[in-house]
Amino acid sequence: MNTVSCPECAAEITLEANAEVGEIIVCPDCGVDLEVISLNPAEVDLAPMEQEDWGE
Amino acid sequence: MMTQQIIVVKLGGTEGVDFSAICQDAAELLKSGQRLVFVHGGSAEANALGEALGTPPKFITSPSGYTSRYTDRKTLEVFLMAVNGKVNSLLTEQLHGLGINAFGLSGMDGKLMVATRKDAIQSVENGKRKMIRDDYTGKIETVNSELLLALLNMGFLPVIAPVAVSQNGEALNVDADRAAAMVAAALKAETLLLLTAVPGLMEKFPDESTLIRQIPQSKLVSALEMAQGRMKKKVLGAEEALQGGVGRVIIADGRVEKPISNAMSGNGTIIQ
Repeated sequence: MNTVSCPECAAEITLEANAEVGEIIVCPDCGVDLEVISLNPAEVDLAPMEQEDWGE
Repeated sequence: MMTQQIIVVKLGGTEGVDFSAICQDAAELLKSGQRLVFVHGGSAEANALGEALGTPPKFITSPSGYTSRYTDRKTLEVFLMAVNGKVNSLLTEQLHGLGINAFGLSGMDGKLMVATRKDAIQSVENGKRKMIRDDYTGKIETVNSELLLALLNMGFLPVIAPVAVSQNGEALNVDADRAAAMVAAALKAETLLLLTAVPGLMEKFPDESTLIRQIPQSKLVSALEMAQGRMKKKVLGAEEALQGGVGRVIIADGRVEKPISNAMSGNGTIIQ
């Protein structure tokens, strides 16, 4: 099962079947941005909060 | 420090901007004692070289609406070849042909521009937000103004390619408009002139009759919301330049005769 625990609020989140590494999802409970780090096993981490989210 | 009369001119890299007219205009201005610094782009050349080498450009859009060139290591090398290699050299050659002692350099030389690498940017693809961690682009933190002033005092026209060096010594692609803004701020330039292939910022792009002639610094936030695509970074650069102590910023047409003089006489979008 692609189920992960939110590192911020510990909510249980099931990743979509088409989830990809590097994708950013939003925790449905606390709203924090999470980066999918791996799929097998499923793992997420807090996404970096950059002041500028774009490249140059 | 004698810095009042410096004009920093950014020559847009998109097709249509007349480098030859800008260089001829610069030659006359330099003769009359005007001090100039050039910063150039090179997006069209980088795109063309990338296509020829089998690494076509890829542009990404961030969730906040900014578009940028996806610059992985291979793209960075193409970017360096096109912008630092070709555009900078040929512009310097053209200036020498007019009797101007141009000094071509990139922001890496002598740590002219030191930037923080953006090692975690985001793109939106097919409705999904994705993290990109192999991008070699950066936000300029410092400009070595002593180096530029030394070159100016020696009578050179500095011609700067939009490449910076990171704190870890990596070459980085930087936005040429923002680079010009940082250079202008470091020199406390009188004017930052952003020459591009349109007459300035338009209220309803691409309708040139909706050109905005004046923007007070206090209205830049709404101008930033209105600006589309590449113009967004010009407005952002204008804001950074003014905050850094530049007298005024003019976004003006680089396709006309005497583009620098034309803009300095009040044509374009004047932001101050």
